[in-house]
Amino acid sequence: MKNKVLMGLATIVMVAVLSGCGKKPQVEIDATNAAIEAAKTAEAAVYVPAEFAAVQDSMNAINADIAVQESKLFKNFKTAKAKLATTLTLANQVAANAAVKKEEVKKEVETLMTEIKTVLEENKTLMKKAPRGKEGAAVLEQIKTEMATIEGSVVEAQGLYDSGTYMDALNKVKAAKERAVGINTELKEAIAKVKGKKK
Amino acid sequence: MRKDWRDVLIFAAVAVSMPLIVLLLIRFTPQPPIGEMEYARETLSKAGKNNADTYSKKLYSEAKIFYDSAMVNWQKENERFLYFRDYDKVAMFAELSAKKASQAGANSISSTSNLKINLKQKIDFLNDLISDINELFTTYPLSSEIRNRISKGKMLLTEAEIAYKKGQYLQANRKITDSEYLLTASYENAASNLKNYFKSYSVWENWVEKTINESKKNRDYSIIIDKYSRKCFVYLNGTKKYEFEAELGKNWVGDKRVKGDKATPEGMYKITKKIEGRKTKYYKALLLDYPNDEDKEKFKSEIARGSLPASAKIGDLIEIHGNGGKGIDWTEGCVALTDKEMDVIFKIVKVGTLVTIVGSMVDLQNVVNR
Repeated sequence: MKNKVLMGLATIVMVAVLSGCGKKPQVEIDATNAAIEAAKTAEAAVYVPAEFAAVQDSMNAINADIAVQESKLFKNFKTAKAKLATTLTLANQVAANAAVKKEEVKKEVETLMTEIKTVLEENKTLMKKAPRGKEGAAVLEQIKTEMATIEGSVVEAQGLYDSGTYMDALNKVKAAKERAVGINTELKEAIAKVKGKKK
Repeated sequence: MRKDWRDVLIFAAVAVSMPLIVLLLIRFTPQPPIGEMEYARETLSKAGKNNADTYSKKLYSEAKIFYDSAMVNWQKENERFLYFRDYDKVAMFAELSAKKASQAGANSISSTSNLKINLKQKIDFLNDLISDINELFTTYPLSSEIRNRISKGKMLLTEAEIAYKKGQYLQANRKITDSEYLLTASYENAASNLKNYFKSYSVWENWVEKTINESKKNRDYSIIIDKYSRKCFVYLNGTKKYEFEAELGKNWVGDKRVKGDKATPEGMYKITKKIEGRKTKYYKALLLDYPNDEDKEKFKSEIARGSLPASAKIGDLIEIHGNGGKGIDWTEGCVALTDKEMDVIFKIVKVGTLVTIVGSMVDLQNVVNR
């Protein structure tokens, strides 16, 4: 009788040893996937692409680790669990970094928008003072057309900003500002030239 | 006692055979292709770092699909009983994924490099084209539509340059394509317009020669207006004596066809009247004999051909007058000089002085190379 009890206990211990640490960490997997999805929603692929790719690489490696363990008779998900915890933290960090970067880009667009509006206003004032001598008026006509194009581009950039696509808005407003500043310089130089001649 | 021994033996047999069975199970269990999967994953990650997802999209997404298929098959096989597992498909998909990812990575590197070179060339070409447009057409009366298209083309080129500097080559390429379309189409349109304008060059050349010869022969003044360069040349005894900036009708390109078309006529004319004081609102004016017989003939044939409506009227009162110096073509078809220049010219010319108005005194090739 005593031996039977011992045998039973040995069997229970064996089963416990075999199945110990052998359960797939589904809760942790789901939590990490959700964190990655949240990072994606935070546009991490747009604002912090390298960091986001690193998180995805980590998750791919973990999935492979889990599959390796599932192929075994004695499964051990301890390492995978630890890696999942690290990746979860990393994914949350990436989402936070993306939000910070997005805010930075948003602020940059806002600053550029304000700056370009000032430059455009200044250009309008300078146009009135610009020389209209030889070819001057024709050049001014051309500048007027370019100013209209720049204003159109600013409107497009505002539309992109309003729809939350800050990165595209940034590129557009940067180009518009570059052209507006170019015109500003051209006008200032032309005015200075005439002033110089008058002296 | 014997029964006890039998139980011990059974227990011992079970205890020994269990690990043996387990070991045998492990030994002969099909093994998953861990190495192949790891290699595929690393190759895929490397391709991603080389932007294969952007510059070799098709190959990269095929590589990803193969990798996902390998994972799905692996998980499927893991659900089967140890001995019945077969990882061949997993290995095959992993190998295919690695192969495609490797191709995608290499392809992305070469595509990026080629695209970068190509974009740089296009950016340089379009900047040169913009310089040519500025050089040739700043004062040329292009339609507002063409001017807008050129302006939009310039803006897109700036956007493309910004994307290029950021390494966003695909975005830069899209902008360049749009910019190139707008700029080249506008340039071709304007160039063909200009080419058309210069079709009459041989006639103009002949008029200029005649005018200078007349000045030489008569030992007198004669005037040549070069519309393209907006110059008014005054010749004396066949030699150029004065050169003034001239302003023309808003639609100065081409000959005057009809009253109110704001075009400056082309032809050989004579001064018919010198006007000053209250009789002109343009400081001083030299009235020309436009329309001359040739202009009237041309006008009549246009009416007959139907290229002008029967109700159309031929223009008149074409003058060289003052109030110029605005820097823009603003007249109704006359030639405007500054009041100071008008004083000079008014003093030296008389009724009957030859005034020749030509499209250009320089041929198109030289205008382009200037």
